[in-house]
Formats: sequence, C-alpha cells, structure tokens
Amino acid sequence: MRVVVIGHGMVGSRFAEELVAADPGAEVTVLGKEPVPAYNRVLLSGVVAGSTDPALLAMAGPAHPRLRVLTGVAAVDIDRQARTVRDATGHDHAYDVLVLATGSAARVPAIQGVADDRGLVPGVHVLKDLADATGIVDQAVGARRAVVLGAGVLGIEVATGLAARGLSVRVVHLGQRLMERQLGWEAAQVAVGSLGRLGITTHVGASVAGVLTRRDRLSGVRFGDGLEAAADLFVMCCGTSPETVLARRAGLTCDRGVVVGEDLCSPDDPAVFAVGDCAQPPEGGRGLVAQGWEQARRLVARLSRADGGPGADGTTDVVRVKAVGLSMVSMGLSGDFDREDPRYRVLSLKDPERGRYVEVVVAGGLLVGATCLGDAEVGATLSALYTRSMPVPEDPALLMVRALAGGGPGVVSRAPADLEDGDRVCSCNSVSAGAVRAAVHGGCRTAVEVSRRTRASTGCGDCRSTVEALVAATASEQGSQQTHPDLVRSQS
Amino acid sequence: MVPTSARETVGPLSGGPTATHCPYCALQCAQTLLRTPEGRLPVEVRSRDFPTNRGGMCQKGWSSAEVLAAPDRLTTPLVRRDGRLVPAAWDEALDHVHARLEAIRAEHGAEGVAVFGGGGLTNEKAYTLGKFARVVLRTPYIEYNGRFCMSSAAAAANRTLGVDRGLAFPLADLGDADVVLLVGSNPAETMPPLAQHLAGARAQGGLVVVDPRRSATARLTADGGGVHLAPVPGTDLVVLLALTHVLVDEGLVDADYLAARTTGWEDVLASISRWWPERAEAVCGVPADTLRRVARRLAAAAPVHGGGGAYVVTGRGMEQSAHGTDTVSAAITLALALGLPGRRGSGYGPLTGQGNGQGGREHGLKSDQLPGYRHIADPAAREHVARVWGVDPQDLPGPGVPAVELLRRLGTGGGPRALLVHGANLVVSAPNVGAVRKALGRLDLLVVSDVVPSETAMLADVVLPVAQWAEEEGTMTNLEGRVIRRRRALDPPGDARDELWVMRELAARFGVELSDDAREVFDEMARASAGGKADYSGITYDRLDAGEALYWPCPADRPEGTPRMFQDGFATPDGRARLVAVDHRAPADDVTGERPVHLVTGRVLQHYQSGAQTRRVEELVEAAPGPVAELSPVLADTLGLEDGDRVRVSSARGSLTVPARVTDAIRPDTVFLPFHWAGELSANLLTTDATDPVSGMPEFKVCAVRVERVARAVPAPEEVLA
Repeated sequence: MRVVVIGHGMVGSRFAEELVAADPGAEVTVLGKEPVPAYNRVLLSGVVAGSTDPALLAMAGPAHPRLRVLTGVAAVDIDRQARTVRDATGHDHAYDVLVLATGSAARVPAIQGVADDRGLVPGVHVLKDLADATGIVDQAVGARRAVVLGAGVLGIEVATGLAARGLSVRVVHLGQRLMERQLGWEAAQVAVGSLGRLGITTHVGASVAGVLTRRDRLSGVRFGDGLEAAADLFVMCCGTSPETVLARRAGLTCDRGVVVGEDLCSPDDPAVFAVGDCAQPPEGGRGLVAQGWEQARRLVARLSRADGGPGADGTTDVVRVKAVGLSMVSMGLSGDFDREDPRYRVLSLKDPERGRYVEVVVAGGLLVGATCLGDAEVGATLSALYTRSMPVPEDPALLMVRALAGGGPGVVSRAPADLEDGDRVCSCNSVSAGAVRAAVHGGCRTAVEVSRRTRASTGCGDCRSTVEALVAATASEQGSQQTHPDLVRSQS
Repeated sequence: MVPTSARETVGPLSGGPTATHCPYCALQCAQTLLRTPEGRLPVEVRSRDFPTNRGGMCQKGWSSAEVLAAPDRLTTPLVRRDGRLVPAAWDEALDHVHARLEAIRAEHGAEGVAVFGGGGLTNEKAYTLGKFARVVLRTPYIEYNGRFCMSSAAAAANRTLGVDRGLAFPLADLGDADVVLLVGSNPAETMPPLAQHLAGARAQGGLVVVDPRRSATARLTADGGGVHLAPVPGTDLVVLLALTHVLVDEGLVDADYLAARTTGWEDVLASISRWWPERAEAVCGVPADTLRRVARRLAAAAPVHGGGGAYVVTGRGMEQSAHGTDTVSAAITLALALGLPGRRGSGYGPLTGQGNGQGGREHGLKSDQLPGYRHIADPAAREHVARVWGVDPQDLPGPGVPAVELLRRLGTGGGPRALLVHGANLVVSAPNVGAVRKALGRLDLLVVSDVVPSETAMLADVVLPVAQWAEEEGTMTNLEGRVIRRRRALDPPGDARDELWVMRELAARFGVELSDDAREVFDEMARASAGGKADYSGITYDRLDAGEALYWPCPADRPEGTPRMFQDGFATPDGRARLVAVDHRAPADDVTGERPVHLVTGRVLQHYQSGAQTRRVEELVEAAPGPVAELSPVLADTLGLEDGDRVRVSSARGSLTVPARVTDAIRPDTVFLPFHWAGELSANLLTTDATDPVSGMPEFKVCAVRVERVARAVPAPEEVLA
C-alpha cells in the first residue's frame, strides 16, 4: 500500500510513523513544505516566552526504511484520476491512499498597512510556524512595547510570554470579553485583573484599524476609535483557517475544512482522507492536537486493519492555556452557554483579589464543563475528572477548593500535650501515646527505656523526637524528679 | 531492644544468639534470635545493626517469632481422603505424591506437572526447586509469585541496562543524595526502617513521592521535606515522560553522558516531545507547573549541574500495570537523561518487595531462566547448567509461560494436571482470585508445602509441613543485591521438615539425587551461576559468615563483588544503556459510567503479602484487623456515604463488602483496598488479570470499580442517646 501524506506537522508525522509501525505493507511518503521536519507547534508560544528552546521542539521519530520524509518540499497538485501528487520540484508521487494533513493557516485580518507586496511589514507578525516564532523573538529583543491583537488562547499565551520578556503589552480584542470561547463574563473579568498584575493592559470591544510605520518599520497602531499607540511589535492572533487550497483545487468537498465522514474519508473519493486541523469531521474540528492525534490513531487502525485499542487520552476539549504566571484551564461547557438552562447546575467561586475563579457545570451527576483560573491543583483535578466522565459529589462545591487535600497536620506534628491516649505515635510499631504514657507511669524514665518497653521509634525512627517530648511531658506532669534532664531531650 | 553488636557469635543450635534476618520483606532487617527454652515463644527477637535497617525493625519483625508458635502450625503431612485432609506419615504422603505424579506424567507427559514457587524461599530452595522442575520433572512449567512483584522492573532493566539487580547500589548511598524520586512506592509503610535513608533528601527538601495516595511515605514530604505528586492511577508513565520533556525543553539533560553512555536517545526524543506538561496535566492530574518544578529540582541535584546526586526509585505502584515494563523504562529514561545510573552518589533502582524476590528470579524460579540469571533458550547457558547438573542439555525443557498464563492453563486441555506450590498463597495473592480458585479446582493433584494452613493449602490434596526462617539455613539476596545469611536457631516443630529435604526425598523416588545440605546446595548453585549475569561463584558460606559484604556479580576471579554496578559501563554488548521509546496507554480496565472509580490495591504496615503469616499474629491483627476501603470526602459525598459505612466495591470480576474509611489522603477519583485478606475479603477478587506484554506482570494496581453503600455505620452509643 503506497500512502502519500501531505503535511509533516504534529499530526501528519505521527500518523506516518505509526502507520509504518502498524502495517508491514505500508510504504509512506510525507511531503512537508516547511524547511524543518515535524516539530511541536503547541509549544511555539513557549519559544516566544523564552521558556522553550526552538532547537528542542523536534518531534519526528527515528528513520524507518518504509517511511520517506521530504522536508521543504511542498505539494502543489493532486491528480485524483491518476492518483498522484505533484510536488514543487515537479516530481509525481503515486498513491493508493492519500492523507491530507495540511493543517491550518493563521488568519490575517484586513488592517490598513499590515502588509505590502513583500508580505507583513517588519514588526508585524502572526504565530503559526517556527519561523514566525523565531521572528517574534528576534523582534522582541530590544523592543519595549507590544500590541497583541486577539485575546484567544494563543493571544493570551503570546501576551504573557512577551510580558515575561519585560515588554509592556497591550491586548486588543474585538469581542466584548477575553477568550469568549473559554471564559464567561465573570471569569474574563478575573482574568483581566490577573493580566494587569503581569503588566498587560487589556482593551476589549476594540479593534486595530491600521498600523503606523516609520522607515518601513512598525512604529505604532491606530485603534478603531482613532486613538494611536506606539508599538515596536504587533502580533496578530486572530485564529486560523483550515488549509484547504489543494483539496479544493482537486475537487474535494470543502466547507470550513476538508469535509470527511466519521471514517475520516472524503465523500468524494474513497482513497482520500484528512486528519488534523485541515479536516472537518461530522463533530467539527476543534483545532486541538489531541483531536488530530486521535484521528491519526483511528486512521492507522483502519488502514492497517488492526484493533486500535484504547486511545491514549481520547478526544478531549480541555483547553489548558500555557501562560507564564497565569494558570487557566477550561473544558466542556464554558465561555458562552445558557447558565440559566435548568438542565445545568452551575456553581462558581470568584476571588479576583487572588486572581482565582472556578466554575463547574454539572448535569446528570457528571461534570460537563468547568473553568478554572488561578488554582492549578483544582484545575488539574477537574481536568482528570472531566476527561474520564467521573461522577461528581452531591455538593459540587467540594470540587472547587483543593479537591485533593494537600495534607493537614499529621498526628506526630501535634504538641505532645495535645495527643490523645488513642493517637498513634509510632506507626511502625503501632504504639499509641497512651502506651508511651503508661510506660512512663510504669517506671520508664527515658525515651530509650520507653522504646525498649514499647518498641516506639524502633522502626524508621521518625517519631523519636515526639516520643522524647511525650516522655518529658508525661514525666513532668507526674512531677517525677527522677528524670535526668540529659536523658530526655526536650522538643525544640 | 537496643541493637546488639553485629559481631556476635554465630551459634546455630548452640544455645547462643543466632544472627539472622527478618522473615519478611526484601529489606531483610538484621535480627538476633535468643533461645528462650522456658518462654511462651521459642526465641526472643532482637534487632541488630546492619547498613540497611540500622538497628530498626517494624512491628512485623518484632513480632515475627509469633509465627514460629502459630497455634495452627502445620506439624504433620496431610493427605486428603474422602474429601478431608487427614494426618499421614511422611513416607505415605511422599509415596502418594510420587505415584500420582508418575501417573499424571504417564498420561499427560512431563508438561502435565507444574511447579509454583515463592519469593520468600531462600536461594538454596529456589535453586533446588528450579532444578527439581527441570531435571526431575522435566517440565517447562515453573513460575513463582515474584512474577507478581518484580517482573516489570526486571524486564525494563534487562532491556535497557542489560541486567536487573534491584538497586544497583548499596541502600545507604541514598542518604547522601539531594533528591530521591520515589515512584509508586510506600516504603515508610512497607519497609519502615528504609525511611531512615530518606532523611538526607528530606533535609534538603528533595524527597519527591509519586503516589495517588498521601501515603505514609508521601507524608514525609510535608514541612519542607519535598513534594508529593498524586497522579490519576495508571498515569505514572505520563508523569515520567513529562518530567523528561521538561528536561529536554529547558536544556537540562546531561548531553555528554547521553552521547557517551547510551544509544537510542534520538529515538526516544519523539516520544518525549509528545508529552509537554500541559498535555500531561489533563491526563495525569498533576499541575503542569508542579511537573516543571520537580524536573528542575531533579536537574539541580544531578551531577552534570553540580548537584549532590539524585536517585530515581520505583515500586509496585507503577510496575504492577499492563504497561509496567514501559513505565519502568520511562523511569530509567528519566534517570539516564539526568546522567544518574553508573555514577557514584546517583542512580536508578526498583525496591524489591519479597524477602528473596531478587534471588528467586536469579536462580531458576522464572519460567525462562536458569541459575545465574541465564536465559533458558540460550544454548551456551543450557550447556553450562546441564554440565553442572550432570544431564544432557537436550533434556532440559525450554521456556514455560508467565504466572498468570500458567494459572489459566491449569486443568485445561493440554495444560498441567498437577501443581506443586512452595511458599505462595495463590488464592489470595494472584489477580482475579475467583478464576484462580476455579483453576486449582480443575487439577487432578495439588500439593502445597507451607508452614501454616494457608487458604491455598486448605484446597490441596496433599499438604507438606515445612520449616520456616528461624528453623533453616540458607542465603537470601536482599533488595540491593547483597547476599546475606539466614541461620537456624531451632529445629522445626513436630514432623515439619526443611523443603530441601522434601525435594531430596521426592527426587529420590524418581531416582534422582539432590542434596538437602544448604551449604552444599549453595556451592553447587555458585558453580551453576558462574559466568552468568548473577555470578555468585566467588561467594561462600565461610566468607558470608566472616561478615563480608558481598554484592553480586561476585565471580571467583573478582571476589570483592560489586557494590555499585555500571561504574564502567552497562551490561549490554557495547556497554551503553539502550533507551527504549514508550508511550502512555489507558489501563486495561479503565473507568466507565458503570464503574467510574479507580481501585488501587496495596499494603498496610502490619501485614505481609497474603497475610498467611501476619494474620496469625495477635498484635498485628489487633492493629489491623481487616481491610477497609479508603476514599476521600469528595467521593464519599458523591456516593452519599459516611465514614464507617459498609460499602460494596465491585469490579467486572467480583465484589467485596468492607467498611469505608473517609480520609483526605487519597484522590477523589480513587478507592484503596489492602490485599492481605482472604476469601470474601480478598481485594484480588476484584483485580484484573490483564498482563504486561513484555513482563507478564498482572495489572494489580488499577482497575475500574463501583462503590455502593450496603449498610450505615453503626452509630456510637452517645449518638443514639442524643
């Protein structure tokens, strides 16, 4: 089976590697238009933030004799009759199965002056590939003021990343609140406060009408209301659109993306499939890599006629913002939904002072949505519950504060005088405070003697100081004058 | 109870003190036994200073003499007649076993008989049992309960480092490290004196414990001692890949070490690149920034960054999984990325569980292994061992099958019709014990050698009473690969006999001569192990009795032994560690709407394994009388139940009813059950027998259950009055 994959991104590369591993009859050719092999696109915002070394993003697996990866070679045409793909060098690649993994492209809004015939003007950027990220980083060095257009997930990641680099950052967002797909009104309000503490100014309901240049370089932006602001870096994070040019030209049905069925196959051609951001499956494309990887896994199972087995983490719509200094996660029902709908029980906790906001949505005993800002532990626990559809407590508020307790004081850290007789002092040997007291009352004068009689602190020894203090306290309660001070170390 | 000196007279049966080691776990705390002819118990147990336990001992060790005098101690052979086990003379019992085995072999061939050993048996007994199976019975079907314990750690170490010795360094080395990462291990409860070696890391805030429960060990991280990560059960692999991801992402790996001492780094990079912390968080439930912090802490402790050393240590919590081998491989990858193994003051190692889990797997209790940790399919290994045994290599059977598969085959078409069990309590300790009980019921002959009437012994056709720790001579190999002496302080009671004698007598009936002298057996085993990975040929009883600290490999030409392995290279053909790319998969029996809670199983301090010994010790039973289901207040609210309520916990395989204990020391998506109890209280009625494809390890540590209240807690009297 000859398989041609167009696109060597996170999904295309994984699909190709897993297919050759699963199917001994598969000969796979991958055409990747970027000049580097597959890398982790999800972490590009980390490159912008300076927390990720771009050299360490590589994702491509080891070489395989039945896997041919052509890097820096774009596909230019699909001939579905001949079942060939022509690449930019004019070479034709025959296929039995064609897999489109062309991904998506950054949307560039119509803003006066952002681009000229040479492309985006210097200082203006989008963030979609590695070159974009390194371009932003180069520009950020020495820059002082940045404007980020679009306060979706990527916009927030870029804004916080640039702020972490010491730039003064403005976020401009056309919508009436930040991240409206993920955050409701209250959550968005809390997020504005948190961003403010990181040195980021937020402008909602605002647009950028034009960019100002000086000597062919960006010098500022003009907002929709006519006001202007100086800026030496302008990053547009206005969403993506599925890359469908080749598919359309080949006569495949495309809507927002390349239309495919549940089996990821195009309705127009049983030999053509699409996975990842370029695909539009019946449930819709979410633009999350988890969905693309799940599709890749399913398609490998289908093509290799193997049992796919359980997925690594299934399809999930958990959105975890990778923002420096800001913990933010949302899942399921979040952002815009009808909070008055009687089917939903919606609880929220708002603590703007600490940048904390937690909202959980329960229906039919299950967690069907959640938003969590400013509490990483709670956010992580909610994600784990949500992805596994676990039942939620009768009182869902229990999920909103430290769902997993971090550790109240153990018995041994209590003051010896406060220990009840039944409290276990030595776990290794099941010795209670009462047994230690009884040993003292029975004539033991030192902790060593008590240990000898009760075996307390003869295991790991961790309770030695507690036993010593308890012996001292008991002895002094007893008014015992026989206890030699050197023999009983008091608790420090 | 003050530790007595290590240099004391060794006087078996002389009436003087006997220097030996605890009968229970692989820490093998040093004990001194004093004869007390007038006492209620035959010996008094004292702790003894030793580098592993430093004079410490837990309640199990202190009370170990109780089992010598267990009221139902087996003291005479029993043979089932008309459905009842009745006393028999040894000759009668052994003749009966011999005749039945011969008949079964005549009808079904050598493969009609199987042998099942235990990780508590001495090296001498493990070796002899392996030889008995291969030379006397000539069956490939030999396995042991260590398959349920160390097989994933062993498989991963073998494929990556070239050899598996448990810890590749003396335990005391841990004490000098800045960071100790413990994944799926709870030594503060399972081998308490070990916690002393964690004090150094705790003092630096460097103890990192990965456990879905805030276990006794996890609590050692409190008050600045370190960090506790509580992942979703079955996701340890994700935690480990994410930690490694951060090292790569932030340029913290030991690149020179990876280049000089490993192969395959480029291959594993792709698998690591898929698990950035935010993605890992949604699967494992550990916050991304916590993963980053821990990875940086590990890196700071690594030699490459001028740190004071770090250790990665694994336990059953992550190994007893259908992906256990891969999970351990990820732990080794993390250690290698940090440049830890084979460097003094740093390293990787699993904590062996059973007393001689290490020695058992080295000397022939595993279906694919010959003495010296040799592979039974390796012609050179067969040749060598056959020569020591005085048989034709052609006559040695080939590899058998791992434990779970062996148990499945019992009594089925073509499967074994007879089973000899030594030192294992299968109907409590195996996964999915309901199915195991049925399998044993299909047999034509079940012979169990034990010290007490364990639940498995009670199902047997013939029960053979044998000696236990204080009644026998031998050696054990502890969790650090150090060979230590077990010494006899007294004779076994009644007609109980040493298993070496039992095997000698049985072999003689087949016309084969075996020795029952422990020292002779050891010397032969040392010869058989010569040239193997676990080479004991430089070790003798005289050297051990002189107090030498001998760690294998200890070949005759390097008699100093090997306290620290891998200093000059790994045990692979090119001396480099072979990194293996792995990826996460969901548990075999994952949570569903019908069974939405993770079950994890484990231990309590007072009990050991199937409880056959410890459930016979009054003070241990008093401290831990029965299993309770631990669950969080959040889960309790979800299920509408309260502390003390009786709950039914059910999996797809079985259910049990126990009291609930509501505690905030566990994740809200998880319930914990200890596995030391039998019959209707056996946690293994619930566990899945899905196994790891490489190691054959069953997935004890995670399955899906449903929890329901069956009765309210009995209210305290004052509440009734109120």
